[in-house]
Amino acid sequence: MKIRRIQDTLVRAFALIVVLTMLLLGAVSLDFLRRTLVDAAEQDTMRLAAQLSRVVDNYISYMNDISLVVTEDQDVLAYMAAPSTGGQLAQSRIAQFLGSIRKARQDIDGIFLVPARAAPGGGGPLIQPGFVIASSPGSGVNPAYDFTRYPDGLTVPLEGEKAPLLSSAHVEDLVEGRYPWVISLVRALKGKDGQSLGYIQVDLNYAVIEDLCKGIQLGSSGYVFILGASGDIVYHPRQQLVYGNLWNERIGELLAMKEGFLASKVDGREILYTAKPSARTGWTIVAVSFVSELLAGSRRAIYTFLLLAIVCFAIAVFVSAFVSARISRPIEALRRSMQEVEKGNFDIDITVECSNEVYQLAGDCDIAVKKVRDLIEQNRKEGEQKRLLELRALQAQINPHFLYNTLDSIVWMIELGENQSAIDVTSALARFFRLGISKGSEIITVRTEIEYLETYLSIQKTRYKDKLDYEISFEPELYGYKLLKLLVQPLVENAIYHGIKNKESPGLVRVYGAREGGDIAIRVIDDGVGMEDSRLEALRASIAGPPGLDAADLSPERPWGGVGVRNVQERIALYFGSGYGLSFDSVPGSGTTATIRIPVVEESEP
Amino acid sequence: MIALGLLAALLLAIAYREDSGTPSAKPKVIAIFKASGAANAFWNSVSDGVTSGAQDFGLDISIKAPRDEIYVDEQIAIVREAIGKKPAAIVLAACDVHRLVDPVREAKARGIKVVCIDSFIETEDANAKVGTDNFEAGQKCGVALLRILPAGSSIAVMSYVQGSSTAIGRESGLRDALGGKLAIASTSYSSSDEGIAYEQAKALLERDPALAGIATLNLPTTLGAARALEESGRQAKVALVAFDDSPEVMRLIERGVIRDAIVQKPFNMGYITMRTVEELLAGKRPSAYTNTGSVDIDKANMFEPENEKLLFPVGGQ
Repeated sequence: MKIRRIQDTLVRAFALIVVLTMLLLGAVSLDFLRRTLVDAAEQDTMRLAAQLSRVVDNYISYMNDISLVVTEDQDVLAYMAAPSTGGQLAQSRIAQFLGSIRKARQDIDGIFLVPARAAPGGGGPLIQPGFVIASSPGSGVNPAYDFTRYPDGLTVPLEGEKAPLLSSAHVEDLVEGRYPWVISLVRALKGKDGQSLGYIQVDLNYAVIEDLCKGIQLGSSGYVFILGASGDIVYHPRQQLVYGNLWNERIGELLAMKEGFLASKVDGREILYTAKPSARTGWTIVAVSFVSELLAGSRRAIYTFLLLAIVCFAIAVFVSAFVSARISRPIEALRRSMQEVEKGNFDIDITVECSNEVYQLAGDCDIAVKKVRDLIEQNRKEGEQKRLLELRALQAQINPHFLYNTLDSIVWMIELGENQSAIDVTSALARFFRLGISKGSEIITVRTEIEYLETYLSIQKTRYKDKLDYEISFEPELYGYKLLKLLVQPLVENAIYHGIKNKESPGLVRVYGAREGGDIAIRVIDDGVGMEDSRLEALRASIAGPPGLDAADLSPERPWGGVGVRNVQERIALYFGSGYGLSFDSVPGSGTTATIRIPVVEESEP
Repeated sequence: MIALGLLAALLLAIAYREDSGTPSAKPKVIAIFKASGAANAFWNSVSDGVTSGAQDFGLDISIKAPRDEIYVDEQIAIVREAIGKKPAAIVLAACDVHRLVDPVREAKARGIKVVCIDSFIETEDANAKVGTDNFEAGQKCGVALLRILPAGSSIAVMSYVQGSSTAIGRESGLRDALGGKLAIASTSYSSSDEGIAYEQAKALLERDPALAGIATLNLPTTLGAARALEESGRQAKVALVAFDDSPEVMRLIERGVIRDAIVQKPFNMGYITMRTVEELLAGKRPSAYTNTGSVDIDKANMFEPENEKLLFPVGGQ
């Protein structure tokens, strides 16, 4: 398995969380912002369009007012009623009057009074160009001007409705030598008895409309155009392109919609039409805005958001790196300590600089390692002790007195010519030592131990003759079980030396082995002198005492409580646990019983 | 993780780059006309169209022209200079059908797109052509004369520069339409000079009392001829059918000096040229030739809404 560092995992997780959060948050808030911006832009654009429509209305009202002022003038009415009577003087006076009105306002390009009479029997109106009074920056009336055709799209209002007529944008050629673009308002004049007198025409400088429309800013490429009632273009900033069919607006739909919003797409750019009709003119003010520009604010928001996202990202990476370092550094330290332990160095203190679970873990590890260290130490000490005890057991076994005495016996036998006996004892002695060494193995079977005891007792028997009798009896099922070597022999030796030897009459040493539950009990029973209670207590205290040795323990001369017994007791405890060991019972004058209790260990077990 | 960070930084960089809208990224286009707009209403309108188109199609345009269209060498020098500036495209109104072929080839050899506007070269070396179908316009001129004059009348053709493709096209269109029904008494070339045209027309009118019609094939020639005709007072007897428009031409029509004017659409021509350039630069395949069309204008139809929009620039005199 690939090892992934905690730090990496954490940083990754943090970064992912931040990125996902920012994405989600960004998408939601940008969408909201976008909608808000579009809504605001729509309202804004509609407000601008409405404002422009009002301004245009105002201009038209103003032109209308001028036409009213003129048509209500008595001199004008008189002239119109009879253009020929006043002569040159009347004409120039009225021209002056018109001129003063026109000059007051730059937005009026021209004012024209056209006396006209309905032609008898229908047909076009009768107009005498000589009677037309023109007030404009140009010179006189264009002699080539065709009154029957003019103004564009309008019929000369002889039958005269009250309401004035309004033309679309057109080239004014009424004045000689000038071709200004104007919007004309035409109002019919009527005599007192209601007969047609002709009409007045007020030309609004087209540049006024142009300036008004151009003055409206709709982003950097948005614009405003004005649609005439019949769908003709009154004003468009790209007039020439529109006329040349190189620029198209969705005029039909806009005209049908009258007021409201229309979304469209031009060359892959989303655009928004905002239409607002002007009440007086019948025109429709159309604002065209580019959605991408309306959303310029959202783009700024995107940048800000991206910047924020990057900052958050950086912070997340930094913080997660920091946090994970704080988590992983102690773990790393702990790992290094444990690596030391793996190498076998238990002699270290595991401490980490932190205050969380890792600290506790480190504490636990420390305790565990110290326990292991102690166990190892204990193990080592026990091993040493075992070796020492075994050495001592061997020393005890080759009790020099036993050896001297046996050798003495052999010498006596040879002197007495009991050669066969000498041979027997000598070979028994040899077997005894061979078994005692037992190929260096610490553990032997019960069978071997029995053989060993037999050998030992047979040697002692040759020495003590009739004074010593012995009996060895083990349940046969025990033969295969394991036993520590040199456990029973020291007790037998003690039984002989301390029990039988000091007795007047012959003594009997019995060795019984039996299974008692999960244990093996081996009893060494003598019918010797026994022990006083005080000695028995001393012996019991000696074997119950704390383990350990002193120099005096090595002396083989100590009576019952001596080396052999202590050694046996400690070895049993070492090998089989403190629940096992030796116990003694004694009755003064009638003998002592020593009991060894060890657990059943099958031969097959190692 | 690092990749994510880089991605975010990249996005930010792109966003800011987009926002700043680097103007230097616009492809450079040099337009070389036959005459500057300052002196010539026709080229003035073409310039307007080109400028407007450059704005709409995101092109960086600069406009150059020789002093007048007879200065072919000067125009060749201007083209060579333009090539040296390594523009993305050159828009050329060739003063001469033959002599501008080599400069066009040189430009193309350097990977510069060439779009011919109004006046073409004799070969098909240019990437695209945008202009009036002059043969068709010439035919309209002939049709107008035939409408006004009785068959067999004698007319004079006043052209401008002999090697110019437009002049050749118009004259052959005119002859084609006339089909021999009117006699062409003379053909002259004014070098696009109003003064020369005036002198030529004056001489013509003095020399030929039977002259029934004059066809003038471009604006300076028209203006010169019209002046001479008006001064002679024979406008009722000599029908002047002209080419191109200006406010002065309109006044002359209103006064009856000029009977008909075959009017081109210079603004459209300029605008469509820029659209063509943009398409070429974008790797699209615009049509090899775009006819921007012409209209026959007379006193009766000049103020009709479609025509007045073409004839009178909006918002100005």
